[in-house]
Amino acid sequence: MLKEEFISKSPVRVLEKSIEGGLGKGNFGVIASRKGIGKTSVLVQVALDRLIQGQKVIHVSFNAHTSYIISWYENIFDEIARRRNLEDLGELKDQLVRNRVIMNFTQEGVSVEQITRSLKAMIIEGGFDAKTVIVDGFDFSRGTVERFQKVRAFLAEMGLEAWYSCTLSGEEPLCDKNNVPILLRELLPLISVLIVMEPARDYIHFKVVKDHEILNPRDLNLKLDTKSLLIAEN
Amino acid sequence: MSIDIHTMRNIGISAHIDSGKTTLSERILFYCRKIHTIHEVRGKDGMGATMDSMDLERERGITIQSAATNVTWKGHPINLIDTPGHVDFTIEVERSLRVLDGAILVLCAVAGVQSQSITVDRQLKRYHVPRLAFINKCDRTGANPFKVKAQLQEKLGLNPAFVTLPIGLEDKLEGVVDLVLMRAVYFDGPSGEDIRYAEIPAHLKDDAARYREELVEAAAMFSDELAEAYLEGEYSNELLIAAIRKGCIAEKLVPVFVGSAYKNKGVQLLLDGVASYLPDPTEVHNFALNLDEGEKEVELVPDPAAKPVALGFKLEDGQYGQLTYVRIYQGELKKGDELLNTRSRKRFKIGRLVRMHSDSMEDIPEGYCGDIVALFGIECASGDTFCHPDLNYAMTSMFIPEPVISLAIEPKDKKSSDQMGKALNRFSKEDPTFQTYVDPESNQTIIKGMGELHLEVYVERMRREYKCDVEVGRPQVAYREAITQRAEFNYTHKKQTGGSGQYGRVAGYMEPLETENYEFVDMVKGGAIPIEYIPSCNKGFKAALQKGSLIGFPIVNVRCVVNDGQSHSVDSSDIAFQLAAIGAFREAYEKAKPAILEPIMKVSVEGPNEFQGNIFASLNQRRGIITSSTEDGTFCRVEAEVPLAEMFGYSTVIRSLTQGKAEFTMEFLKYGRVPTSISDQLKKDYLEKRKKDAQR
Repeated sequence: MLKEEFISKSPVRVLEKSIEGGLGKGNFGVIASRKGIGKTSVLVQVALDRLIQGQKVIHVSFNAHTSYIISWYENIFDEIARRRNLEDLGELKDQLVRNRVIMNFTQEGVSVEQITRSLKAMIIEGGFDAKTVIVDGFDFSRGTVERFQKVRAFLAEMGLEAWYSCTLSGEEPLCDKNNVPILLRELLPLISVLIVMEPARDYIHFKVVKDHEILNPRDLNLKLDTKSLLIAEN
Repeated sequence: MSIDIHTMRNIGISAHIDSGKTTLSERILFYCRKIHTIHEVRGKDGMGATMDSMDLERERGITIQSAATNVTWKGHPINLIDTPGHVDFTIEVERSLRVLDGAILVLCAVAGVQSQSITVDRQLKRYHVPRLAFINKCDRTGANPFKVKAQLQEKLGLNPAFVTLPIGLEDKLEGVVDLVLMRAVYFDGPSGEDIRYAEIPAHLKDDAARYREELVEAAAMFSDELAEAYLEGEYSNELLIAAIRKGCIAEKLVPVFVGSAYKNKGVQLLLDGVASYLPDPTEVHNFALNLDEGEKEVELVPDPAAKPVALGFKLEDGQYGQLTYVRIYQGELKKGDELLNTRSRKRFKIGRLVRMHSDSMEDIPEGYCGDIVALFGIECASGDTFCHPDLNYAMTSMFIPEPVISLAIEPKDKKSSDQMGKALNRFSKEDPTFQTYVDPESNQTIIKGMGELHLEVYVERMRREYKCDVEVGRPQVAYREAITQRAEFNYTHKKQTGGSGQYGRVAGYMEPLETENYEFVDMVKGGAIPIEYIPSCNKGFKAALQKGSLIGFPIVNVRCVVNDGQSHSVDSSDIAFQLAAIGAFREAYEKAKPAILEPIMKVSVEGPNEFQGNIFASLNQRRGIITSSTEDGTFCRVEAEVPLAEMFGYSTVIRSLTQGKAEFTMEFLKYGRVPTSISDQLKKDYLEKRKKDAQR
């Protein structure tokens, strides 16, 4: 399969189509679920979709081992490449490495100022004109309204969009009657797209809770395959 | 007199530059009564530390060569091998690691685990060297040994456990708590040589109990006996020490010591740790290759009665000729014994055996099994194996990386030119990653090595040790050429005008190969090329690979397939088919879209956060691909892939960009394709050079 065809057939297109054509500059989306459901895999697939299109992506993580993150990318890329029979693998892989940078913040309670300062340094001094930021593993119990107002201002200033993962934990119910995770209720006005992943019988269901202005729009025609951890159409 | 092999320790001190390795070595020598006074590294007293035996190292404050020295601590003979710290000298480090049974990993209590600590630790892991950690400089402002211990776990994936704790930190560092014997230890006297034991200070009692608990729990993993006794609440310190030792030797537990070598605190306990926890030579498995049995691996037995096997791991040019440091793996070496150098096949008699202490030496009648000694006047190269003449062993060949950078050098006068040959001969014997040859075209002497600093140091050594002044050319990157697509060839070499003729036709194709450099495939059917001329074709291709037509560098990653051809009953010959193959190769090469490849280095820069932007910018300007950045409080580490050609002078640049607060390491990663704009320039330069050469 050729790269172009792959891009047009990516399930990430379906995701974008269903959420009004994507996030848009200055906005951020959140993918929430309990631990071990496959959030990182979904984020990596969103990132890979951008990377294969030749766009630059910054992957922000709070895990000390970059090799761990790199192997996520490699494994998912290899799996997609194998299933879709992609051509020119060597060159595509080079492109991925060129267009991706991993930024790790290992200090506990790192401030939003420190993160945005580092991202800005990477984009401006490092000449890395990213369009998308992936933030995996942020602890939303520290996510105040003030913090995310700053995040939105920064994203708008730099012309970026960001996807966050959010781990839900504790006792049921995790979500309120509008399907909004209680952990994210205060932040809801700032979040542009909110997707909750729920395990169904033999797959993981994507429930769009918020799509820009609309709460609980029609269901997404997407699921996550529990074996391959790949996004697939229903 | 014989030494009990179980008391013997062969250890190295591995560390990051500036973490205080040389200072620590000095203290060890002092406490073991090998030297009478202590000199500091950048000696204010003009003497310099004893372990840095070369002036150059003294000047730069770094240690390049590994000098071995023998000391005794509480009845344990310890051979101390000072391993170099800079990554440009990795071959030196790795060769030293080979002969070690254990190591002390020195870390700075302020800077913690830095990029070079990671490199060094990786090397220790590769050679399975059990280690102790010493968190040095606890007297410095900002010292935090607890953070460093956490980093040992997070960044190096080790399982560390404190064996000593600091009493006070920074300028309030008074002594250490011994968590095994549960007492406070103070270091009195002008150089900390008078040890005073006392009760653990009241404010530290809880901490001491907690960390003691941690240590016992960690150690209990390696001893069922200790685990059981611990659960019952009754266990002896001997049991604890034995369990820590077991975990340490299995490389599953790293005992952590704290202190300050500079302030003379904690070093003696570290020495106790060397004796208690690091292995003796019989506890380490060493293997050799039996050359008589197709390099079959044989385990060496650390038995004095066995036939001797020793490895020459280090050469040094002394006042009295060449000194060869050897590690004895099996048997004993006695004066007058005959040995075989299995590489050169030469036999020799042991004339003089010595034990070394940096700059002084002691004559000994014999070298014991497991020991490290030096031999005089042996003709050999570094890495040679010496055996009893009945044996034919070679110690496993070590991984030697290909040089990535070269430099033309020219002697400034006649005297220098005589000396230059001697110096180059010596250096290439000492260091397999340092190579030298004379370029047949320019007639220039070329030296090749692993990095800019690597070659700089040798040029400097020529100047100092051999009084040989040389003019140095611009560093030259070891480019390669490679084809990017398949191309056919069908070439006839024909010279049949008078005299004996030449005739050969070679047909087939070439295609890119992924990993290997060159492959030759014979698919000729029906004797189109007579079988005796097939090797001639292979030879011809190999000759053509030496120099690509783009910029004159060797061609790599190509498979040549011959599937047809033609011969002449009289005029075909070996040389005719070689020339036909060369012609065929050149014909196809242009069609196969050749490209220029350059060495790409894996670069890791580390510095304070405030300079992050400068570091990013400096890498970006050098065509670098930043792969990751990791921030940890006030420090950041940036990893990137950067072409070697762009890294010249980077050490100066990074220093000035960050007020000297950042540093970097680099190692060869892969060959990558050169971007078009740069490859056009390289081709243009090559054409001009050829034109000039032709005019000459």
